[in-house]
Amino acid sequence: MTGARFGPSDREKSLHPMENSPILRVLVVDDEALIRWSLSEVLTEAGHIVVEAADGQAAILALETAPPFDVILLDYRLPDSNDLNLLSTMRQRTPQSAVIMMTAYGTPEVTSGALSLGVYQVLRKPFEVHDLVELVVEAYNARAGT
Amino acid sequence: MDDAAGFRLEDETVRILDALIESSDDAILAKDLRGTILSWNRGAGRMYGYSAQEAVGRSVSVLMRADGGEELTDLLERIARGERIERHNAVRVTKTGRLIEVSLTLSPIRNASAVVIGALAVARDVTEHNRAIDSLRESEERLRSIVDSAVDAIILIDARGCVESFNFGAEQLFGYAAAEVVGKNVSMLMPSPYRDDHDGYLANYLDTGIAKIIGVGRDVTALRKDGRMLPVRLSVGELTIRGEKKFTGILHDLSARMQMEEQLREQAALVRLGEMAAVIAHEVRNPLAAVRGAIEVIGRRLPQGSREAAVTADIVGRIDTLNQLVTDLLLFARPPKPRPLAMELPTLLGVTTSLLGQDPAHHGIRVEMSGSVPPILGDSELLKIVFVNVLINSAQAMKGTGTIRISLTSTETMARIVVSDEGPGIAPEVRDKLFVPFVTTKSRGTGLGLSTVKRLVEAHRGEIHVDCPPSGGTSVTILLPLA
Repeated sequence: MTGARFGPSDREKSLHPMENSPILRVLVVDDEALIRWSLSEVLTEAGHIVVEAADGQAAILALETAPPFDVILLDYRLPDSNDLNLLSTMRQRTPQSAVIMMTAYGTPEVTSGALSLGVYQVLRKPFEVHDLVELVVEAYNARAGT
Repeated sequence: MDDAAGFRLEDETVRILDALIESSDDAILAKDLRGTILSWNRGAGRMYGYSAQEAVGRSVSVLMRADGGEELTDLLERIARGERIERHNAVRVTKTGRLIEVSLTLSPIRNASAVVIGALAVARDVTEHNRAIDSLRESEERLRSIVDSAVDAIILIDARGCVESFNFGAEQLFGYAAAEVVGKNVSMLMPSPYRDDHDGYLANYLDTGIAKIIGVGRDVTALRKDGRMLPVRLSVGELTIRGEKKFTGILHDLSARMQMEEQLREQAALVRLGEMAAVIAHEVRNPLAAVRGAIEVIGRRLPQGSREAAVTADIVGRIDTLNQLVTDLLLFARPPKPRPLAMELPTLLGVTTSLLGQDPAHHGIRVEMSGSVPPILGDSELLKIVFVNVLINSAQAMKGTGTIRISLTSTETMARIVVSDEGPGIAPEVRDKLFVPFVTTKSRGTGLGLSTVKRLVEAHRGEIHVDCPPSGGTSVTILLPLA
């Protein structure tokens, strides 16, 4: 399996956001600074608003101080979280947000647990960051029921 | 003796003969050709229970069973012909009705004109003797059946190392028939250097009496007829038969146990590798994802078509290769548990074949499928990995050109898939290591492909074998349980 999860990337799309694409508020939770950087770069380029959090505590704080979020990109393993409790808490705090979970090595149990908590998709690292832009909109649309 | 019977002997000779006859433990009696008892010694009295008075004048048939008439007629006829009958085994009846087994010797008695007029019978009670022989035979048979039915090899040698007996277990263990070994030096069953030293060990023990192995037991190596060596546990015992020293060797095949231990070790190693792979997955994929993402973003900002943009694309490619390695390692070390569902093999093989066709390197490959099978029980995602690996191996063996034949058959419980290629086959020295992880003949590759395939097939309770038929090429046979 390679990082190319969603078929060949369409570079043009992410460089020039679709006109009818909504501007989304996205929370990126990952302890790896380069991942936060690249995700917020591509999402910002696509016209979305990105808030970054490096751990679970910062993520909860962001939910309290900078809501609402349309989409949350959440790393499964964080310095202060190594289970599905953080996800569960976030789902309760902000049930209207679509969640995409990122994981370097997710057992099938973790994946099915996350999906049963309403996660839109469990994404295996590494992945094509530009494809993520599309996935974020897709997750938002699914949540919004369009 | 009785004059009426026609004996004419000197008095002294008669007295000596009488004394001799009377002192014998054997029953000695004389009878005429009709079977009438003429004389009866003490031995006869002791054996049959009749006194001479009771016996003399009666027919010997009183000593025989009711059905003994024919035997008596036959014996008397032979005597009448002048025949001497030696060691005739018969059953006789004593006065009290007890049956005894006797060994009879009958000699004709002739008169002065050399005409046979009767018989002298010497009878020995062999009841005890026969019983002893029977019980000896029985105990020997019992021992033999123990030795013969023993799973372990039991070998008897003499003091020079010469094999005297070689049981069924030994035949099985060594692959020799007993006849091929008996009479030869036991050292033929051992590899060098023990083979050359064995006579020395024996001589040394017989000289010094210092036992190095007797009564201790030791793990040694046995050499089979086919040249294969087997780990065995040897225990040696010592015995003396008629003053001659002999040694018994009992050998227990340890290969199954060692194989099991090896399997357990392998399993333990796989579990550790699995734990390691999980850690590696976390610790490697996170930075890989970070670098990949950042390089991707930077690459897009470089002028399209520039050398630098091409380099960033290459970097992404290398990262994906690294990630593939981690993925392969994880799949081997921590294969997901199959979630088996009933599925159609031809459909799965069709999908797999078209996946193979997507790679331009395989455009010269034709895949022919024949036969049919009922639905199997399998995890299609995992089996896809299995067949992709097998088909890619076949395609690579044929250097991208040729026909891969897939034949489908089934037994009562299993589907049998045979994938045959037209490649050069596999060298014998490589064949043994096909399923060993991290062993590869390819210039690049992890050597995890077939080992993973095997793990996945076995996780389905299936089997996989690789053969190189004499007709050429390689065939991979996979058995999977039917739904």
